[in-house]
Amino acid sequence: MTPLSHGLPRPAATTGPVPAGRDPAGSGPKARPAATAAPPPRRSPRRGREALSGWLFVAPALALFLLMGLYTVGYGFLLSFAQWNGFAPHWTWVGVQNYKDLLWANPLYAPRVRNAAAHTLYVMVAVPLLTVAVSFPLAVLLNSARRMQSLLRSVYFVPYVTSGIAVFFAWQYILQPDGAVNTLLKSLGLGSLAQPQGWLGNPHTALPTMIVVTVWLAVPVAMLLYLTGLQGIDRSVLEAAQLDGAGWWRTNASVVWPLLRPITLVVVLLNLRDSLQGFQTFLVMTNGGPGDHTNVLGLEAYRLAFLKDLAPTLGVASALGWLLFAAALVLALVNLRLLRSRT
Amino acid sequence: MRIPFAAPSARTLPRSTGRRRRTGFAAAAVVTALSLAPIVACGGSSGSSGGGKTLEMWTFKQSHVAGLRAAAAQFAKQTGITVKIQAYGPDDAYTTKVQAAAKTHNLPDVLEVHSDGEDLALGAAGIATDISGDVGSDWSGLFQKGVQSSGTVTAERYKESLPSDSKSHGVKQGQRFSVPFTSGTFGIVFGNKAKLAAAGITRPPASYEQWLADLKATKAKDGASGGVSLGLKVRATGLTWVLQPLAFSLLGTDGYHALFGQDPATDFASAAGREVLSLYDRLQPYWMPGTQVLDIDAADQAFAQGKSDWDIGGTFTLAFLQQNGMNPDDVMAFGIPGPAAGAVPKPALGPLALTGLTVASTSSHRAEAEKWMRFLSQPSVASAFAKAATEVPATELGPDATQVMGPTLAGMTKTFEGTPQTTYDPSDSSFRAPGYDQDSMSDILADLTPLAQKGVAPTAKAMAELNDSFWKNAKK
Repeated sequence: MTPLSHGLPRPAATTGPVPAGRDPAGSGPKARPAATAAPPPRRSPRRGREALSGWLFVAPALALFLLMGLYTVGYGFLLSFAQWNGFAPHWTWVGVQNYKDLLWANPLYAPRVRNAAAHTLYVMVAVPLLTVAVSFPLAVLLNSARRMQSLLRSVYFVPYVTSGIAVFFAWQYILQPDGAVNTLLKSLGLGSLAQPQGWLGNPHTALPTMIVVTVWLAVPVAMLLYLTGLQGIDRSVLEAAQLDGAGWWRTNASVVWPLLRPITLVVVLLNLRDSLQGFQTFLVMTNGGPGDHTNVLGLEAYRLAFLKDLAPTLGVASALGWLLFAAALVLALVNLRLLRSRT
Repeated sequence: MRIPFAAPSARTLPRSTGRRRRTGFAAAAVVTALSLAPIVACGGSSGSSGGGKTLEMWTFKQSHVAGLRAAAAQFAKQTGITVKIQAYGPDDAYTTKVQAAAKTHNLPDVLEVHSDGEDLALGAAGIATDISGDVGSDWSGLFQKGVQSSGTVTAERYKESLPSDSKSHGVKQGQRFSVPFTSGTFGIVFGNKAKLAAAGITRPPASYEQWLADLKATKAKDGASGGVSLGLKVRATGLTWVLQPLAFSLLGTDGYHALFGQDPATDFASAAGREVLSLYDRLQPYWMPGTQVLDIDAADQAFAQGKSDWDIGGTFTLAFLQQNGMNPDDVMAFGIPGPAAGAVPKPALGPLALTGLTVASTSSHRAEAEKWMRFLSQPSVASAFAKAATEVPATELGPDATQVMGPTLAGMTKTFEGTPQTTYDPSDSSFRAPGYDQDSMSDILADLTPLAQKGVAPTAKAMAELNDSFWKNAKK
């Protein structure tokens, strides 16, 4: 029950706190008609104070929600139909021109958005697939580990805990022409695979490399979700499969994998959303480069909003944000349909 | 279910429970007040620094801090006004910081800004104060001739501000939002003297072709570090620091301007345009590996660490190199040389104001702030600052300049010397389409070199098409 309940008149019979499932009169449900028959209580000053106290406690959350939630969303939506730099005293209304500019009308925005959309789509396909491909087997292996399971779980969770600017910079150093990846490849006699311009400097390897880094960041949470699912599977189901002659591979492929399909859908959805809207890794590690070979839609929206030196592009950035929201909404609906049909 | 805080009737409760309720009520009120306090504070801050004779100044150049603090100490002695200097960097972070501070009314009194761009945009946004009424000829006369009107909305800049999507839309002709502080130019090549000498190079190249030969020599001497670094992660560096000066020296002023015009016979897709791109593409074998993912500071750092024998920057780069442990005397510096058969084989690189000083519109100490800015413009103060920061000051230092700035920095200023016909003017953008975006052009150029994804002809065609679309868009 929410604290808002304080303001509601309570039945006269309940004069004190009643623990769940217990009736102080010992008469059980039979006592209720008598209580309901009693006249409704008058709102005493004490209850008014209680109501006020309740409202005061929820006021910060409510104010923040109204300010940060409803107001911001509404403000952002209106802004997507205007031209503004964040400081000018008035907005210039442009109707749907911002959307048209982004999609086809303005050579300054449309080609970049199309290019970024292609990269984003690539990331949206690759990241969820690779995350599932890595985290599911990892979780199965970790679940079957007899020793040091907690330690291994912590080790595999480290990327998630340590994520941040420092990690992105560390990755940059690792991927440089004279970085650890190239050095390792050369020391293993695989120098032909090394990238002389660095893994982020070659336009052909830059986006795949960014995908690998993104997957590296996404695997810990996905693995934890799978691990939770694995520990919830009834052992008798697995034993029945084994009694029927299913080996380790067959059990995991035909029993465990289908049982964890709802978790797979959640993992896919979370990573789709991150791939669609996330851009921090790209901002820090490549800033969309080299050239614009790793530019993604989230980064483009951020660039339009904050890195245009007070040009009136906040409206265009907001419009791009709403286009991203529309795409995310479609994805969520598809995912919901899949969840309903497969579970 | 137990209802939180839904206490039994007061009559059935001991007195202490009633007190607890009152305490809870008070706690709720305090929690609410404290929670809402930051929200209220966001909208109500009074602005600049607190004390009556204390000013606050922000800069985005860490290398300027020591020189500014030394000047501030001298200023405090003379006037009793304390100036607190704070640096925030890199540039993008500074821009965001200033915008955020403007929104929360927490701006300092004085800001160091990029001249003739950021200052006007801040003026248009109401963040910078119009100081045109206070900067007379006695003040602007202290600056070098080429930068005396920096920060002013000239007729040309006013024209550029007219489109509604211009960054400076809303400014009025004659307004002034900054005074110049440092000057210099882009397109300066730095060479590591010791490494160059090892490859048999002891003097700056006389032409672009000779520079390419020098690059070949250093690359042959040391394949790993013999190349040239340039912060190409900042997209426009290749276009504005290298290609444009090259185009100017190959084609002359008119031919260079025509590249950005609307005539297909002279734009980037023309024979002249393709020749410029071919010339630029000849740098391809000599880039430092990975320079395309380095920002400007990281590229300069790579040079200072010996990872590249050459570095392309501006006059301001020397200060950064010194900060990173390089002795300016160990560096050979020269402007991007022109092609021997070009229209301007010995081009000069026109100086421009690089940074300026502006008064925040929220400052309640405008007079003191202007006094501080004027103090920094004095030749004696500018000299001391130039020495401390290894920068070219906007103030005219006269014949003492070489002695004050040191031989390397003074040598760089020699690249400024030329006639109007032989001087590349990086600040002139009057010939480009309104709404021209150099970053988009630079993305196409990057595919030519260093990324080697496209040849000269497709690059020329793509740049011409984009340029053409800017003109078409401007006519809508």
